[in-house]
Amino acid sequence: MNLNDPKLTAYALDELDEPERSAISRAVAESAEAQRFVDEIRGLASALKSEFAAEIEKQPPVLSSLTESVLELAQGSGRTELSRTLTDIHDDAWFWSIARPLAIAAVLALLAVVSGVAVFSLRREGVQVAQSEWARLPGVPLKPADVEGEFQTPMDAAASPAAAAARSPSAAAPAKMSKQVASKAASLNYSVAQASVSAGLAQAPVSAVREWERFREVRAPSGEFNTAAYDHIVENPFLNAKDNPLSTFSIDVDTASYSNMRRFINEGSLPPKDAVRVEEMINYFIYDYAQPSDDKPFAVHVDLASCPWETSHRLVRIGLKGKEIATDKRGPSNLVFLLDVSGSMTPRERLPLVKQAMRLLVEKLRENDRVAIVVYAGASGLALPSITGDHKEQILEALENLQSSGSTNGAEGIQLAYKIAADNFIKDGVNRVILATDGDFNVGVTNQGDLIRLIEEKAKRVVFLSVLGVGTDNLKDSTMQKLADKGNGNYAYLDSVDEARKVLVQQMNGTLVTIAKDVKIQVEFNPARVASYRLIGYEKRMLRKEDFNDDRVDAGEIGAGHTVTALYEVVPVGAVSNPAESVPPVDPLKYSSDERSASTPLTSSNEMLTVKLRYKKPDGDRSELVERAVTDTGGNFGNAPVDLKFAAAVAEFGMILRDSEYKGNGTFAAVLEWAQEGKGSDATGYRAGFIELVRKAQALKRG
Amino acid sequence: MRGGKIETGQHFEEVIKRFEIPLLQYAGRIIGDREQARDVVQETFIKFQRNGALRRDDQPATWLFTVCRNRALNVCRKERRIMYLDEELIEARDSEQQMPFDQLEQKEATGFLLRIVATLPARQQEVLQLKFQNDLSYQQIADIMKTTANNVGVLLHTALRALRQRYGESARDFIPFKPTTTKRK
Repeated sequence: MNLNDPKLTAYALDELDEPERSAISRAVAESAEAQRFVDEIRGLASALKSEFAAEIEKQPPVLSSLTESVLELAQGSGRTELSRTLTDIHDDAWFWSIARPLAIAAVLALLAVVSGVAVFSLRREGVQVAQSEWARLPGVPLKPADVEGEFQTPMDAAASPAAAAARSPSAAAPAKMSKQVASKAASLNYSVAQASVSAGLAQAPVSAVREWERFREVRAPSGEFNTAAYDHIVENPFLNAKDNPLSTFSIDVDTASYSNMRRFINEGSLPPKDAVRVEEMINYFIYDYAQPSDDKPFAVHVDLASCPWETSHRLVRIGLKGKEIATDKRGPSNLVFLLDVSGSMTPRERLPLVKQAMRLLVEKLRENDRVAIVVYAGASGLALPSITGDHKEQILEALENLQSSGSTNGAEGIQLAYKIAADNFIKDGVNRVILATDGDFNVGVTNQGDLIRLIEEKAKRVVFLSVLGVGTDNLKDSTMQKLADKGNGNYAYLDSVDEARKVLVQQMNGTLVTIAKDVKIQVEFNPARVASYRLIGYEKRMLRKEDFNDDRVDAGEIGAGHTVTALYEVVPVGAVSNPAESVPPVDPLKYSSDERSASTPLTSSNEMLTVKLRYKKPDGDRSELVERAVTDTGGNFGNAPVDLKFAAAVAEFGMILRDSEYKGNGTFAAVLEWAQEGKGSDATGYRAGFIELVRKAQALKRG
Repeated sequence: MRGGKIETGQHFEEVIKRFEIPLLQYAGRIIGDREQARDVVQETFIKFQRNGALRRDDQPATWLFTVCRNRALNVCRKERRIMYLDEELIEARDSEQQMPFDQLEQKEATGFLLRIVATLPARQQEVLQLKFQNDLSYQQIADIMKTTANNVGVLLHTALRALRQRYGESARDFIPFKPTTTKRK
């Protein structure tokens, strides 16, 4: 094997696609030398990552004044001044001619590639004197002034060895000479940089510094360098029922956002807005919907009442209840625990918590179940080959022996876990990979898009996925949510042993046994009754209306006994509408006659909406349809079922935490009131826990 | 769009906070001057704000690094200072060059590896930084540096090989990492 093949490095960094990857993999397996090279490159890569990360970490927030000035410029000072400034900056036509098409190309590329860039925020220490790391590095050699314009097309030069060779003799001497100069320049830069940084800090407005303090307060409650990643959420807007009569989305049984949010509040800070996904908060709680009485895998319930935060509006609740399966009726399980044992998993609330969680699950296993344990860090491996559930001691011992170290090659672990799941596949049983991680895949395939494709491909073979997230400062929430989504799975966040017990013991069958997959909901609104509507949450689950009947489009799974709840805020026709809910009218079409809006009379039906559901059996390819029409009978929130009140309280709490523009008149106090009214019998105590959490949030907001 | 302005503002602020330091480090390595790097990063963000057409749920990394790089190179051109020499030329220079450890400031605990990185050709430094500081894929790096994913692969491979070799030659007293991973049974 030729060690000078760049493919070898690409392989080590997991940048190869199949079939190249397999080819190199075989070649590497045959050569000890190549294997050593790959290992070393991986070790080097992970060491580089940590040094580069430290470089970012050491960087003090010197740009705070910059942030402020750009923001002011962008928001406050109006357009003329902004464009004048921009003209000053980009006066050269060259820049625009190159940059504009490039920017467009970059945006197109972005649409194709989901990038997995880590979010670097700042560590929490106070503002301190700058250590200019890069300025101390020896600079790149000073450039002789004779090649102006060359860098505009550096690739052209590189691609043309002849041209480069022709230039090199003249440039080589200055390059050699410049070594010493560069070294001097570097030390000079260093002192200049220090001086200017101190000056910059002195000038930074107090408000800007305070802004940073506040920001770091929110983003780094653990006091450490924080690389937690949350995807930005743009909330669903109100939509005009006439122009958009159909609302289509995929169900979601994830609950991670709730327990993650709870962890933030319990640690004394409000969560970052984008960590709050309202539908996951609502679905954290189990609602008392009746089970299906027919042979359908789930029952659909719809009810409505006035909307408590905007009383002229209606709140519609759609509830799904999966069929319960008694534990002794559960098919045999083939489980593969895929555990992240990398260095970042060391803290008590990570690997040790995961071990506890797994122990709880193992206690519940029967002799016809199978368990295997795959671990991954810098290299992945099989910690326990698949054995049956009656070997509890052996399983527990294997769990006990796990230790954390090294960097994280998640992709390799995922490959191995799915392979073992496939090798031990149980027909008509539960086949599931349970991934427990802080989500920081920093070796191998670290690109989010590639990881997701990997999981998606694996999920095609009826092996389901559960993702258990742990940890705080580097929680890759967005990656894990997407993995679960694409892997036909569910995602829960473990902030305590109690949460592990809820997910893995109390709701074991729901977590393990999928009873229907690709469950999609489409609601058709009657424009004669509904002026506009808004789906609360589910922003990451929206589908196109065409996707509903397209069985190729992936959607969420529902487990045994699971409940799924979606809320719509509906503005009835004739309701007084404040500007925030009014939908701006669209200009009449010039070339097509818009029949719906003008000529066709609206239906005289009293129905407000029709809920349609499509789902597939766990091993099926064709979807089945369930439909249900709903008429508004004018119920008040005061008389609404307790569960509806509680769900409304949770939704409003989420919207307040997100500081949503749709939160209406709601306050923490109102949320408390509705939650109290909606508490019901609360056998599990989760609702009491919610009420406690709202109180804490209220106190935090005040403080 | 209703509420669009506020949303954009918030998003914009988040983008700044997320990328300003990685971009500052990046521009800093190219220009070699902190103040100018700072200006370049500021310009990049202003341009980003102005380009409101970017969809908010996109990951703006490639865009930001591309624009930041263009601006940084522009500064280099105007200042007639440093240059991205042809790779062949740099390789030639490197082969004659000893590890200049004695020239490097050593008392600060800069990462040992980063000090070796600093002795590599500029474009190799750049791919290393984009790959390992910013976790970008070959293709993203190729887009930013206006080259092909293949060439990024060659640059990274060359850089890592050089690092590995120099590490072996000069690092006997430093043990910042174990170059092999452990296999589990």
